[in-house]
Amino acid sequence: MLGRINRRIRWRSQAGLRLLSALLLALVWELLARRLDSLLLPGCVETIAALARLAASSELWQALWLSNQALVLGFLLAALVGVPLGLMMGRWRAADRYLDPYLSILLATPKAALIPIVIMATGLGLISRVLITFAFAVVVITVNARAGLRMINPSWTEMARSYTATEAQLWRKVLVPGALPAIVTGLRLGVARAISGMVSVELLLVAVGIGRMILDFQGTYNAPSLYATVLVVVFEAVLLLEASRWLERRIAPWVSQGAAR
Amino acid sequence: MIELRDCHKTYIAQNGQAAVLALDGVELTIQSGEFVCLLGPSGCGKTTLLKAIAGLLRLDAGEVRINGQPVTGPGTDRAMVFQDFALLPWANVVANVAFGLELRGVAKEIREQTARELIHAVGLTGFEGHYPRQLSGGMQQRVGLARALAVNPDILLMDEPFGAVDAQTRRLLQEDLLSVLGRTPKTVVFVTHSMEEAVRLGDRVVLMSPRPGRVRDTVTVDLPRPRPSDLERHPRFADLTEYLWQQLKEMQR
Repeated sequence: MLGRINRRIRWRSQAGLRLLSALLLALVWELLARRLDSLLLPGCVETIAALARLAASSELWQALWLSNQALVLGFLLAALVGVPLGLMMGRWRAADRYLDPYLSILLATPKAALIPIVIMATGLGLISRVLITFAFAVVVITVNARAGLRMINPSWTEMARSYTATEAQLWRKVLVPGALPAIVTGLRLGVARAISGMVSVELLLVAVGIGRMILDFQGTYNAPSLYATVLVVVFEAVLLLEASRWLERRIAPWVSQGAAR
Repeated sequence: MIELRDCHKTYIAQNGQAAVLALDGVELTIQSGEFVCLLGPSGCGKTTLLKAIAGLLRLDAGEVRINGQPVTGPGTDRAMVFQDFALLPWANVVANVAFGLELRGVAKEIREQTARELIHAVGLTGFEGHYPRQLSGGMQQRVGLARALAVNPDILLMDEPFGAVDAQTRRLLQEDLLSVLGRTPKTVVFVTHSMEEAVRLGDRVVLMSPRPGRVRDTVTVDLPRPRPSDLERHPRFADLTEYLWQQLKEMQR
């Protein structure tokens, strides 16, 4: 009870600080824009006005819908492949030995370099955007699931075995729940990667959705709208990250709050 | 009855070089209903021996038999209590205690009923909904003990169960263990490196020596049962611990 109240107070002061820093940033931005008085740097107020205009138009929402198709499908695919793959690699050394080089390659390659290859193979449609979003997100999801399984306390598995757990029971009742915090962290980081994948492909080659809007505004030197569109992407990213962080706390409350975020 | 015949186990270190002879021809017979303490310095193979009885590890040579049947893996006749408690952090006290029954497919209502009875027996009434991180070390090990008792094993295997708690808690846990066993007698194999603990709890103390792990001596604890809480004042208590101490001291040289 007391803990809950304390948490609430802490949350409020934290939210207050965040709001304050955001306001300060906006103020610096506005002052800087006025001082420079450049066509390329719109003021904060101007940008917010453009944001309001965009939000009232159907263009923004259609673009968001289009872009998010790739995001959702690519991310889901990455989760469906990455989580089981990571768990497998964490459990069976042989699987790890065979698959780790590919994971390392994917980890080290700048994902943007894959974009032309994927588009050559699958064309300019939704599929290529989904695949690229997938490629951006899958590595971090896999690596985290593997780490989650590796960090499971060996005495839990020994305990379960001593109480006659079968391999299936071991997975269901110890390994998956034990790896869950790391899996969810991986999914949260995967969301962030998926968003950058989604935007990168739209900016670099397949000009649709949000990426196309950004390119259009850039081409017409419509700086306030350009900034407003980028802000929309930032908003979405922050919103998704906060949602997954909340989910993380809900799913794994036993992991101490002090753990790495 | 547990019989260990000519048990050998060698551990190969990670680098593949150094080999540790954890068990070197260990012979031991434990009668049903007996409380045997395995005592010895670190590296004498006492935990290895316990795991061999639990069926958690494969011996290089020799065998373990329980009531004449060779041990090939973990079984429902045995339950283990771990030094680091090995509680599942995402499960509350009831779920942790019921874990062994859950693995055996016991229906939820029945296993939770059993769990609640044992939570009461180990003195944790009121903590059913707590999670391990909310409990002290001593309370966590009570959960570990209740989990082991919940599957109603013939044999209780305890691996330095009270090694990670403070001295007072340790005494309380020892007394509570004895009183629980007084109500439901079991065969107990108890690993410890405390001489006092071995004498206070055991019917027999098996003294093991390290590198290679061997049984050095077996001491019968001829002290009355039920063990009084001021057992230290008993003249035999001092004799026995003194004898064990001399033996342990010699091993260190």
